[in-house]
Amino acid sequence: MAVLRDKIVIKNLSKTFASKKNSVEVLKDINLTVKENEFLVILGPGQCGKTVLLNILAELDEQTSGTVEFADGRPKMGDLGLVFQRYALFPWKSVMGNVEMNQKLKGVDKATRQANAQKYIDLVGLQGFEKALPKQLSGGMKQRVGIARAYASESDIMLMDEPFGALDAQTRYSMEDEILKIWEKNKRTVIFVTNNVEEAIYLGDRIILLGGHPTSVKKEYIPEMPRPRNYTDQAFLRLRNEIVADTDLSL
Amino acid sequence: MKNIKWVNILLSVCSIGIFVVLWVVLSGQEGSMVPTPAATLEKFLQIMADPIANATLPAHIWASLQRVLIAFFFAVVLGVALGIGIGWSKGFNALFGPLFEMLRPIPPIAWIPVIILWFGIGELSKWVIVFIGSFVPIVLNTSAGIRAIDPLMISAGKVLGANRKQLLVDVAFPATIPAILAGIRTALSSGWMCVVAAEMIVARQGVGFLIVRGQESGDTALIVVCMLAIGVVSFLLSTILQKMEGVLCPWQFSETKL
Repeated sequence: MAVLRDKIVIKNLSKTFASKKNSVEVLKDINLTVKENEFLVILGPGQCGKTVLLNILAELDEQTSGTVEFADGRPKMGDLGLVFQRYALFPWKSVMGNVEMNQKLKGVDKATRQANAQKYIDLVGLQGFEKALPKQLSGGMKQRVGIARAYASESDIMLMDEPFGALDAQTRYSMEDEILKIWEKNKRTVIFVTNNVEEAIYLGDRIILLGGHPTSVKKEYIPEMPRPRNYTDQAFLRLRNEIVADTDLSL
Repeated sequence: MKNIKWVNILLSVCSIGIFVVLWVVLSGQEGSMVPTPAATLEKFLQIMADPIANATLPAHIWASLQRVLIAFFFAVVLGVALGIGIGWSKGFNALFGPLFEMLRPIPPIAWIPVIILWFGIGELSKWVIVFIGSFVPIVLNTSAGIRAIDPLMISAGKVLGANRKQLLVDVAFPATIPAILAGIRTALSSGWMCVVAAEMIVARQGVGFLIVRGQESGDTALIVVCMLAIGVVSFLLSTILQKMEGVLCPWQFSETKL
């Protein structure tokens, strides 16, 4: 594999939530480099601050200290793709309306932005559902819309915050295959957050394990297995046991 | 399941049947102040054709309805605007919120005497009273709706690049439409109540006027016809609005499935 250049460099990133009574340090000294066009998985137990980390990258939140450097300059609001765990689709907008929203807000003319949106609706396999409202779609289909909407921002960085966390197991497996297919067809830098070890191994070029209180980077793994990976493969199971042993149990 | 449905229908028929029997019995007494169903129906047919105070029943209903619709239009426009302002902007809320909260608990009907003193006994005073009655629920629902927006919607809007104005117009406002429509429904029935009350105090036309005319002339059949008419109009208004909700925001109210 060719040497990939650094896309995002996170240095000594810390985040403390302060209220009047007390302050909680959530992230402490996170150091992380994201390579261009890699599929990076950030794995961590529930409530460990994974979402906070993504929110800081997406400028929905601000770090207390530390730096985030983007190789091509920090993307403006609207120039970064984010897929939410709870879909966050606009219920009053059709599939097309949701997917074209980014470019509509940017003032792109209707014909251009709809042609662009159609490309991504096709990419996630929702052709024929352009006029459907989100409530008419299943969970898996909703998240396909969420992915298409993020892709339609034309950002080369995709942040995915436990995108399959709300789906049933069967749909989750097929969406995991789907997201890899989409990524192969349309390479971008993906930061995929999950709390599911199997999902992390199945998807990631690299896995960053978070843990501790406050949360920091515990370890990095590189699943040296060709895709599509097999959940029952010896190497898969070995890596799974290794990661589970390193993971903090948190309730 | 089918049996339960039939039992329920039977129960409904029973209660209405008992009501009618009671009505017939009570109105059948010597010197009763309750008009018989037959007399009520007769009165209804009579005032559909023969005018009282130069207007038939439909004309009186239309006179009241017109007042409501005119005042209601202004209440919706200004109420939604004020509600969005209070719910969206802290500064706007600081400016108007406390004043609104202070005036809000006053029942609209309590305004009637002072409104008549200020605006006279013409149409304007009725509009103002109906306006007060329907403005308040619209402002309340709109501002509460804006404040209750899922923060996730706002985050999604920001990530997609919405500036503050776009966040309001393209995200917050559509997200609030269901709450606004709920406010409009409350407001319309409140406005209808207010117009009847205002007309009962001073008017030369309208169902409220007609009901008082019945009281003054001891015409109980007329009173009952008017009461039923008021109820029917109120029911029709809320039914029409309910249908409109399905059209205006299908993502919330309509049941369409693929």
